[in-house]
Amino acid sequence: MRRFTYHEPKSIADAVHLLSAYGEKARLIAGGTDLVVEMKQGKKEPDHVISLRSVPGVNEINFSGGYLRLGAMVTHRAIERSPLIRERFTLLADAVDNLGSVQVRNVATVGGNICNGAPSADTAGPLLALDAVLLVEGPEGERNISLNEFFRGPGKTALAANEVLKQIIIPELPPEACSRYLKHTRRKAMDLPLLGVAVTLIPEAGGEICREARIALTLAAPTPIRAIRAEKHVAGKPFYRAVWEEAGVLALEDSSPRTSFRTTAAYRKKMICALLPRAAAEALERSGRTMKG
Amino acid sequence: MAKVLEPESGGVALQAVGKRLPKLDALDKVQGKAVYIHDLKMPRMLYGKILWSRHAHARILNIDTSRAEKLPGVRAVITGYNTPEIKVGFLKDNPVLKKDKVRQYRDEVAAVAAESLEIAEEAVRLIEVEYEPLPAVFDPVEAMREGAPLIHEEKGSNILKLPWKLICGDPDEGRRQADFVVEETFLLPWVTHCCLGTSGCLAEFQPGGNLTVYSPTQIRYLAQRDFLEAMAALGLKDKRVRVVSTAIGGAFGSKLDTYPFEFITILLAYYAGRPVKLVFSREEEFFATPARQKVEAKIAQGCTREGRLTFRDVEMVLDNGAYTSWGATTPSVMMMPISSLYKVPNVRYTARCVYTNNIYATAMRGYGNPQATFAIESQIDALAEQAGFDPLEFRMLNANTAGEVTPQGFKVGSCGMKECLEAVRESLNWNEKRGKRNGRGVGVGSLIHVGGGARIYKSDACGTIIKLDDFAKVTVMSGATDMGQGSDTVIAQIVAEELGVCIGDIKVIMGNTDLETWDVGAHASRTTFVAGNSALYAARSAKEQILALAASLLNEPQEDLAIKNSVVYSRRNPAVSMQLERVLRAAHFKTGGTQIVASHFYDPPTQMLDKEMKGNFSAAYTYGVHGAEVEVDRETGRVEILKYVIAMDVGKAINPMLLEGQLEGGAAMGIGYSLMENLQTEKGKVLNPNFLDYKMLTFADMPEITSIIVETGERFGPFGAKGIGEPPLVGSAPAIANAVYDATGKRVRSLPLTPEKLLFDADGSEERGGE
Repeated sequence: MRRFTYHEPKSIADAVHLLSAYGEKARLIAGGTDLVVEMKQGKKEPDHVISLRSVPGVNEINFSGGYLRLGAMVTHRAIERSPLIRERFTLLADAVDNLGSVQVRNVATVGGNICNGAPSADTAGPLLALDAVLLVEGPEGERNISLNEFFRGPGKTALAANEVLKQIIIPELPPEACSRYLKHTRRKAMDLPLLGVAVTLIPEAGGEICREARIALTLAAPTPIRAIRAEKHVAGKPFYRAVWEEAGVLALEDSSPRTSFRTTAAYRKKMICALLPRAAAEALERSGRTMKG
Repeated sequence: MAKVLEPESGGVALQAVGKRLPKLDALDKVQGKAVYIHDLKMPRMLYGKILWSRHAHARILNIDTSRAEKLPGVRAVITGYNTPEIKVGFLKDNPVLKKDKVRQYRDEVAAVAAESLEIAEEAVRLIEVEYEPLPAVFDPVEAMREGAPLIHEEKGSNILKLPWKLICGDPDEGRRQADFVVEETFLLPWVTHCCLGTSGCLAEFQPGGNLTVYSPTQIRYLAQRDFLEAMAALGLKDKRVRVVSTAIGGAFGSKLDTYPFEFITILLAYYAGRPVKLVFSREEEFFATPARQKVEAKIAQGCTREGRLTFRDVEMVLDNGAYTSWGATTPSVMMMPISSLYKVPNVRYTARCVYTNNIYATAMRGYGNPQATFAIESQIDALAEQAGFDPLEFRMLNANTAGEVTPQGFKVGSCGMKECLEAVRESLNWNEKRGKRNGRGVGVGSLIHVGGGARIYKSDACGTIIKLDDFAKVTVMSGATDMGQGSDTVIAQIVAEELGVCIGDIKVIMGNTDLETWDVGAHASRTTFVAGNSALYAARSAKEQILALAASLLNEPQEDLAIKNSVVYSRRNPAVSMQLERVLRAAHFKTGGTQIVASHFYDPPTQMLDKEMKGNFSAAYTYGVHGAEVEVDRETGRVEILKYVIAMDVGKAINPMLLEGQLEGGAAMGIGYSLMENLQTEKGKVLNPNFLDYKMLTFADMPEITSIIVETGERFGPFGAKGIGEPPLVGSAPAIANAVYDATGKRVRSLPLTPEKLLFDADGSEERGGE
């Protein structure tokens, strides 16, 4: 690995300052589970590595005023072990339960997972289905970016070169909501998804009709996406399997999966159709209801 | 937990053999004390690094090493142009440093020794190579065609001059006799060993020119001979080579040959005048080490209305890759199941190995047998179905039996195939579960493998030296190799049993060609059988010497004496006894004394295969049956293994705990081979040289394995034992594929058995109707 200078700024503002000063030669490091591997392989050779680990508060999980706030440096392990997240933002717990190994989860962060811009990022789908907003800070101050607007291509995000992700802000779900993230893999552990399906369901009073659904897919397109057509299709309809099978077909219209050495586009398409109704059914089961038909 | 079907043979109460003892070096390993090549450091040691080719096939126009040579800390830079030519491999077609052209991305173009690994890596980057790309060929069938690019021009053809052929009986007549015939083609992928410890070695020249190579090799003595050839090339013909084994972090056949990197390390050490260590990164381990080859197998089998097999006809094309290692000889082992798995009177087998610009083929646990058995045993199910038999019943009808001589000339001693089939039938609840086609299914795959060595070379021997010290502590110097399979422990148990001492009094030393006597290597599941017998006979010889001494000391007839718990006693009158250590001291603390040292060179009673590839090349044959119950997710194509059982006729379990380790470890490799493992290449480039994309099973994917040990008591085996190293993965793939067929009605004829293949046609593109 090439030699580099390591920085540990004490504030986000200092980190922004360093990023502005070193430009292309600098990289932010969070958990390092992607960056360090790429540096060892010589794929990335930054002269300056800037860590946020000494910035106060960036590893905190905070729930107040109707919002869950995840500091950018919150580890996957911290999410996994948070009873609050498991109970009220369950699909986010699904995402981290089967991400890498315990050792990786101990250091890898949710901010790193999002900012890496990988089409396979495990937290991306659940955070999209939670309508998350990103609080970022740059030389001009802070701004919010909806996660829906954040992913721009494989490895590309809406973050400017000298901006830093501070916090992920997630609006509280109504108590009747339920959710599920299905990560479809070859192995049961230590694997990337071949396809990811994240579903948040908010039923009408009585629980028979779907008031609102948020559906996100990973590896269905060059970036994690929301399946808007499918969401619209299920809204206002009862929880019938046939409805969700139609939603799966509609989700294909929002998708453009590719063939790679990992699997084929045809298989991914089939999984979108197979796993969307399954994710919805499993979400419903979590609130004690069942998908009909 | 293993279930042992047969009680201990002979009714003799055994003291050490048959006991569940942890591996002797287990504590060292779990505490991190075992010294692997990765841990080894020598004073003044340099680090070696290889520059690999950037093309699958290209002419080398120029290599400029000047910038690398000027880098501070670089002590040697070598290429094919400034070193003597050394060619390695079974056909000597692999120059250790490529000159004039490269034939694969894995080709060694130059190498560097430097003060640190970082400097060596930097130096390798500074070497500039000018290439002229050549047309390449990656498909063995294409490579056989007229006008295909030649991998080795001087050979005039890409087809290796190793025309594997076996004919037993009259296969055409056998086909005529058949009432039912099935013909199919099976495809098997490249897979690799995935050793926890990557490859590497350390070479050190002593003043005066003798060489020591520290290496996790499986073939200490054959490697010694190969390295002596390199010494001759360096003008050091009369010098000595000592090979010292390090702890082996997995081998599985990958360390059964010598490879260019080892000779490069020797060359670097020679030119730098300092010890050099070269260890592969994980990525290098994936793309630069040879692997289990890709095979296309056309197979036909037939049977009568009564369900008797009448013939088996197999034609194979094997991707040899760019160079020749042991992969090219795996057809010699594939012949074994093809000729002798079940009673089949008429057999034809031909195989062609073809050069391509792919990675190259070597030995891997099973040595061709898993590929051949996948084809045979998948088709046995199809044939049984066509002929209207329950597949397990069909196997019982055709099962091998003790005492038979197979068409290839194998003289079968013990054979527990029927017992294994029955055990798996019961364990899987076969009669209840089979034939439902409801997404759940059961399947079996039988196997035969050599269990009493294999006479591949003129000698299949192993030497042992045993000495006892003044305090009745025993040192066993064995030529064998322990690569994690537990031969250290098994040998100690055998010697302890024979000598009447406890296991704690025995130290087994293996791993230094200056100390121990010759052994052909850890291959062909031979170590327990051959090294075990060698140790047994050496121990018997030591015991006889001891008892002769004790006879005069105790004034008792020698034939009445025995040793138990380190006490020599009279069987007729147990009160007459003497501590073993007193006997030993009395032997030499006197004028004209003597010492107890015994040795034995055991070579099993076998034949080399003759020109027709027939003969009894192993002293015993191991039989087993794998059984699986699976559940197939019809929407996603994922296969879940609900139950996995292996029943294995091992002759006698010397150490049931280690045996279960072998069975479970083999099953893990076999299930991985069946469902996930695939070393993917595109135009010769390995696409998945890492554990993220090369899918080995994780613990979470591993089902619980039910191990059923069948003991048949092999006449020639040490305490009745047969070899067991490879069989635990041989029958996995057909057992799983047959279970998937039973669950879904879909027959997948290629590995790995991926969800894509279950939902789509083999090419993954077009949807396929149900069968």
